[in-house]
Amino acid sequence: MLSLYRIIKFSFQDIARNIWLTIVTITILLLALFTINTLLTVRVISDNAVAAVKEKINISLYLKADAPESEIMALKAKISNSDKVKSINYVSRQSALETFREKYKNNQAVLAALKELGRNPLSPSLTIVPKNFDESSLLINELKVIDNPIIESRDFSDNTSILNKINAITKRVNEVGMFIVAIFILTSLLVVYNAIRVAIYTHRQEIEIMRLVGASNFFIYMPYIVSAFVYALLSILIVISVFYPFLSLLQPYLEVFFMGYNVNILSYFVDNFTMIFGSQFLVVMLINVVASLFAVRKYARI
Amino acid sequence: MITLHNISKSYNNKTKVLRTVNLRIEPGEFVSIVGQSGAGKTTLVRILIGEERVDSGEVFIGDWDITKISKREVPYLRRQIGVIFQDFKLLPKKTLEENVSFALEVSGGKPGKIKKIVPSVLKIVGLEDKKKRYPNEVSGGEQQRAAIARALVHQPKILLADEPTGNLDAINANEIIELLLRINKFGTTVILVTHNKEIVNRLNRRVVTMEQGQIISDQAHGKYLL
Repeated sequence: MLSLYRIIKFSFQDIARNIWLTIVTITILLLALFTINTLLTVRVISDNAVAAVKEKINISLYLKADAPESEIMALKAKISNSDKVKSINYVSRQSALETFREKYKNNQAVLAALKELGRNPLSPSLTIVPKNFDESSLLINELKVIDNPIIESRDFSDNTSILNKINAITKRVNEVGMFIVAIFILTSLLVVYNAIRVAIYTHRQEIEIMRLVGASNFFIYMPYIVSAFVYALLSILIVISVFYPFLSLLQPYLEVFFMGYNVNILSYFVDNFTMIFGSQFLVVMLINVVASLFAVRKYARI
Repeated sequence: MITLHNISKSYNNKTKVLRTVNLRIEPGEFVSIVGQSGAGKTTLVRILIGEERVDSGEVFIGDWDITKISKREVPYLRRQIGVIFQDFKLLPKKTLEENVSFALEVSGGKPGKIKKIVPSVLKIVGLEDKKKRYPNEVSGGEQQRAAIARALVHQPKILLADEPTGNLDAINANEIIELLLRINKFGTTVILVTHNKEIVNRLNRRVVTMEQGQIISDQAHGKYLL
């Protein structure tokens, strides 16, 4: 107990009396943690954005204008039985017309043309949302083979091309994103590892003196391990205290940018607080301890 | 008390720094080990504190054969032998008092014992009024006195002084030697490794002269021969 108290005392004395070294070490840890958390933020935003876009992708089946309501409902029920369908929505001619008018309410030319026509030119449709975005092509194949006379058109080519593009972009973003994240994390870890080793290098004379006055290796190692713990804890606390206000400031801009999509970075970080910052603390702590052990071992060789 | 029996030491199996050295130092003696650079004096000190291992021969401190000492035992050996160096080797971020108490704290000394011993050794070396200062705030002589105080906290039977006056002016050097003599008077064996001819000649104590890793002279009341 007495030894533990002394180790903690030596450690805190060392942190306070080498304040510039402490500041530099913590700054490097902070930069590494900010880099990692910023990359994580970008990743979460892009994942959310892609997921939101996927959510908005739907497949429309256009029906004949005179199709009876009962047959439309029967077709709707048949399609909704597929395990690849998340939801299906019937858009009547009237409803389609209202949506069209709303969409072009500021475009007088379009509205005038519609008035000139004198009738509702739009067809009723079934809007189908796939359960799994990646299985959209299978759903399209299922829809293609439905033989029903009320179906006027089933032109899925645009959707297929969009789906393929989104899939390709998502895949590429994931690959490149993972590569960049891996490089940044590796760089950050190496920088932190070396920062700790440099910090202990500056203590090599002290380590030599500790040995000469009869300090056991345990007494030489432990204050550095405690310091490593304090560095990790302080840097994580600073990151948390700076990052959450930053996310709070960012969130309204994201909401405007992704209007209509559910992208909430703040709630992601709140919901996964323990996992994100707990694991970061453990990793930083582990690197600090490993670097400390290697460095002290080098200078405390008997 | 200290017995070196046929010890030899070489680096990289080439450079022989000690060649079949035999030496016996009795308790309470004040011995000066002199010699030119490269004579093997410092290697001898490093062997005595467990910093170096001999290639052959035996080294006894009392009944303890330190040639067979394990790595774990080295800190215990160092707590029994006080050592001071030319460059003082004080912890720069600790006050003089903290430097002295550190040696006791790392060996698990009880707080009561530390409170009692540290002021008394600081008084012996005359630093009680400068105990709150950091090493860079005092003179070289005062730093060496603090190092001596630190070496004394374990009440060692042996005090090894490796060129303790090398970085000091004549006045401070004399003060340090006077202090070592006073410590010797209390019964501590003092081994002084030095180049300083004047000091050795004035001491008129036992002088062991080394040259090229061998003892070439051992006089009970000797002079600096080289």
